[in-house]
Amino acid sequence: MAAHAVVVALGLWLMASPAVLGLTGAARVAALVAGPLIAALGVIALSEVTRGVRWANVVLGAALALAGILVAQPWPGHVSAVAAGLLTAALSLARGRVTGRYGGGWRAVVGGEEAPPREAGG
Amino acid sequence: MTAEPAEPAGAPPGWSYNPSSWPQRLPLIGVALVGLGIAGYLALYQWGVFGSVFEPFFGDGSRRILHSSVSRLLPIPDAALGALGYVLDAVSGAVGGERRWRTLPWVVIVFGVAVGPLGAVSILLVILQPVAFHAWCTLCLASAVISVLMIGPAMDELLASLQYLARVRREGGSTWRAFRGGG
Repeated sequence: MAAHAVVVALGLWLMASPAVLGLTGAARVAALVAGPLIAALGVIALSEVTRGVRWANVVLGAALALAGILVAQPWPGHVSAVAAGLLTAALSLARGRVTGRYGGGWRAVVGGEEAPPREAGG
Repeated sequence: MTAEPAEPAGAPPGWSYNPSSWPQRLPLIGVALVGLGIAGYLALYQWGVFGSVFEPFFGDGSRRILHSSVSRLLPIPDAALGALGYVLDAVSGAVGGERRWRTLPWVVIVFGVAVGPLGAVSILLVILQPVAFHAWCTLCLASAVISVLMIGPAMDELLASLQYLARVRREGGSTWRAFRGGG
């Protein structure tokens, strides 16, 4: 839960980073596309039932870090994108506490047979 | 089922709470109404009812965004579409009693479908603002935040209804009848 709140903050930072760091071109677009997506998915992952969307942030964070290495930009831009990307991916690996019980979660919907007694999210 | 604690009254099987209870739904309806207020105000501005728009942070950003080519892609301004989305959220969030995850699955599914894509479109518009138009719009961002905040809390009820329909199907019942609320 706390991990995903930090991810939201990282997404908001990415949205502000082009203006703060003076990023232009592809570096700017990368931050402005990744930022809102990471922040929004982080918010959705705060809810236990939709905790599973954190996996999308693992992928997004890794992609952003890769872009941060490959896309030419001033060094603060490299640092920002790589650090925010790696942190997003690492923090999104944490499932966090799930206190509620959800009747087997989404698996109970798609599973053909009686769903295993596993909880929501994942 | 395994030996799990019994669910509270009204809760779906295996749940620790009832996602259709009013304490779960009223906050979402309230937030949707706030979103409706914001989007409605922006739509009135786009229609020219107001000559200027509230923008405390980003200079002429709101004006540029709200009169951009994207905002005029559809016959009605994009904020008006957002306002309609919030109306659908609020109405589909309000219809039905505290057992509607089972008694009115189609309403719950309409609610889930209204909340999910509305949030997705909001995120898309938040990306387009700075990338395509080099501008930000405070109230558009506020509306997007509201749309995104609603997604997670709304999905539990959708999950309960989908689980119910899956259960009906597994037991050989009519999913269609259950979907319409005949279960």
